[in-house]
Amino acid sequence: MKAVGLPVALLLLAGTLPAQQVKWNFDKLAARASDSTEVSLDGALLQLGAKFLSDEDKDQAKIKKLVGGLKGIYIKTFEFKKPGEYSASDVEPFRAPLRPPEWQRIVGTHSNEDGESVEVYIKNDSKGIGGLVIISTAPKELTLVNIVGAVDLDSLSELGKHFDFPEVEVEKKK
Amino acid sequence: MNLEQELKSALRRQDPSPDFAERVLARVAAAPLRTAPRVSQVWVRWLAAIAAALLLAAGGLEYRHYRGERAKAQVLLAVRIAGSKLNKAQRKVHMLAHRSNS
Repeated sequence: MKAVGLPVALLLLAGTLPAQQVKWNFDKLAARASDSTEVSLDGALLQLGAKFLSDEDKDQAKIKKLVGGLKGIYIKTFEFKKPGEYSASDVEPFRAPLRPPEWQRIVGTHSNEDGESVEVYIKNDSKGIGGLVIISTAPKELTLVNIVGAVDLDSLSELGKHFDFPEVEVEKKK
Repeated sequence: MNLEQELKSALRRQDPSPDFAERVLARVAAAPLRTAPRVSQVWVRWLAAIAAALLLAAGGLEYRHYRGERAKAQVLLAVRIAGSKLNKAQRKVHMLAHRSNS
């Protein structure tokens, strides 16, 4: 009875644990990048920002709905002065935590024309998609996106297609 | 002199100077009167406390607004970056599907 009880308790506990962001270490790349951009929005900050989005503006209203079910958005972008300043081996550690069965790679594209690759991973939980990771590499740019929570992929992609809002000031770090 | 005589001399009765009473009354008249604060002073204190509380509340609201606007800008940027990357991947997948169908 005891031997069965512990795994069951662990499974029940795992079900109640809050979804967490993927832990990545950026130190190695940060030292080589010419510029980096970071967006770090935990649940509270995300919901605070959503409150300030307009209901009148169609796109902002869509974003408000999209982020309503999210628990965090974490983005890191590195820009490099020259191509080849980072290699595939530098990107590999970012893929390491994205293992099945928890994570599943749903898209992997590469263009020989511009050298750009995009990989999309989703995290499945009991209610559907519980998280998203995008790893986008280009010769002079690397972007890592981690969205925690139930994300609507179609809405996000749709917003990315036509949403043309002005550039916003963000902290650029070297 | 022995101790007894010394004590007698030190503790002997001595009359005050003739203007003693006059000097005491003059000093009493010159000393400021300690009275309870006037009603207007109490009001001023209350008003100052209310003004300070209002200033603190206004400052808190302003800071919350600043944080909210900053968070909103970050949400917009995050959706822009994530959306554009996801859309790029989706377009490539659609393009490949289109090619393989035709």
